[in-house]
Amino acid sequence: MSVVAPGAHTVSPAARIPLAGEAIHLAGLTKRFVVRRSLGAALRQPFLRQWSPALVDISCTIEDGEFFGLLGPNGAGKTTLFKVLATLVLPDGGSAAVGGYDVIRQANQVRKILAPVITDDRSLYWRLTARENLELYARLQDLPEEAGRRRVSELLDAVGLCDAGSKMVGAFSSGMKQRLLIARALVARPRILLLDEPTRSLDPLSARTFRAFLREEISGRQGCTVLLATHNTEEALELCGRVGVLHQGKLLAVGSAADLIRQMGSERYRLWTRCPVPGSLAALEREGVVDGIVSQPDAEGWTRTEMDVAGGLEGAAKVIDALGRAGASVGRFESVPRTLADLIEGIIDRRRRSSDA
Amino acid sequence: MRRMLALVRASWLTAASYRLNMLVSLVSLLMMVIPVYFVAGALQPVMADSIAGQGGEYFGFLLVGIITLMFLTTAVTSLPTALGSSIASGTFEALLGTRARLGEIVAGTVGYAFIWTAVRALLLLVVGLALGAPLMGERSPAALLILGLIILAYIPFGLLAAAGVLAFKTSGSLPAAVLTVSGLLGGVYYPTQVIPSWLQDLSMAVPLTYGLRALRAVVLEGGSLRASAPDLAVLSGFALALFGLSLYVFTLAVRHAKGSGTLAQY
Repeated sequence: MSVVAPGAHTVSPAARIPLAGEAIHLAGLTKRFVVRRSLGAALRQPFLRQWSPALVDISCTIEDGEFFGLLGPNGAGKTTLFKVLATLVLPDGGSAAVGGYDVIRQANQVRKILAPVITDDRSLYWRLTARENLELYARLQDLPEEAGRRRVSELLDAVGLCDAGSKMVGAFSSGMKQRLLIARALVARPRILLLDEPTRSLDPLSARTFRAFLREEISGRQGCTVLLATHNTEEALELCGRVGVLHQGKLLAVGSAADLIRQMGSERYRLWTRCPVPGSLAALEREGVVDGIVSQPDAEGWTRTEMDVAGGLEGAAKVIDALGRAGASVGRFESVPRTLADLIEGIIDRRRRSSDA
Repeated sequence: MRRMLALVRASWLTAASYRLNMLVSLVSLLMMVIPVYFVAGALQPVMADSIAGQGGEYFGFLLVGIITLMFLTTAVTSLPTALGSSIASGTFEALLGTRARLGEIVAGTVGYAFIWTAVRALLLLVVGLALGAPLMGERSPAALLILGLIILAYIPFGLLAAAGVLAFKTSGSLPAAVLTVSGLLGGVYYPTQVIPSWLQDLSMAVPLTYGLRALRAVVLEGGSLRASAPDLAVLSGFALALFGLSLYVFTLAVRHAKGSGTLAQY
């Protein structure tokens, strides 16, 4: 897997026809929205329109059966992209194909193979039971009566709501509602599932259980292609084979999460020593293995040092060697998980450096 | 059709879970018809001449008007109201993600409201008959046909209001204006002959004027559909023209909402 700058993968819509194995194919997809102005501004300049880009020239291919993460902060364009794929928003330019079907011209076909998981639990019928909710969607999705009932039972079992099937949804916990939302999306056995921040309203324990369910049941047993939008880097790392980083409507990079971090050139490490160590690392800093050293003493007599280390495990080994040679008393040496902000900053920085070069 | 019925069933199950609400709705209807009966009786001598060509009995005249207005209210308000709450709760977006077509979703969303109105109308009719309203039961098929035409002529206003909800997130005062004008000028509570002549001219632009005149001629006078053909022709013209216009505007509103990304926002 490699990190790909968006420009490098841009294909003109006419140049490439989606292949049979592709679940989603985006080519130069663009969407912008009108910026809402104050009443005063609208009266002063009634014909002026200001636009805000939501998706800028997005090109990407997601293969059938992939678990793909769409990583980006709030307002990055994740939800807009999902709504375009779900045929709820019309794109302004470029093309988007789902299973080979165009999202504008063949919207009905798209809806037969793709299901967006609306994570807002208000979208369930709270006064109906879980079974009644699912049976409604089975009918809407054209499942024959008997097959629909069987499918609903299967799904209630799969999401662990078998015993709660006849309970009114309003009495469900957040986690149960989330699972029911997933089951609802799976009623028609979609090939592609869109999940927009599914663990947002779950406690850590429920979120972990839910992620396991996604990985084992949805992606594993059901074999769905899953597109997961999240701003939780850990979640993306845990679940996704590949991730795309979306920022301000631009797809900054696509690749495996580990590759993305590695190709950013460095990993962040944290070190606890009995005394300050920057001197011991000076040589490595000159060589470019170590960068951005920040040291501060903590209350228990240890000094905490954070640094960027280039070269993966080789680089980390050099740091440990240097510390050993300097006789530093090391209490702990650990990798610091990358936050989404780190990832985006690193990718932007890398792109800037490559364009400067 | 099956998808539409599934949505109607979901609305019914939801409504049935509020049993007290249903009961109160039916009881309040009964509470309303009793005073109407006595007021109509008191006004009978005053109204007798002006409604001579429409049954001549004011309680029956009022009953037909009130039942028709109930359907009118449902036709004009149920779609924008249901669409607004469906968008606000997120069910609309979820429904749009299914194989159901927009038309099926729209029809299914309001189907239950029409069925419930029919139940209430039937109850009102039964009570009205028990109180002696001179309605001709054998003219029911013709009456249903005319009522259907009236509803068809007014659903477009509901579609236009729903288009407003989709495009601007408000139906404005369109439903209230349509119901007020139709109620005042369409002959719900009094025949249009009793209003000032300049208002009578305006009432010619109200579809309900023709619908109610035809309906009363059939159920209160026992007249044939053929005799009401001129009124029914105008009513059909309204229904056709308004349906075409409202469908076009609704389609534009959906397109606008999809383009601006506000289809599922309220």
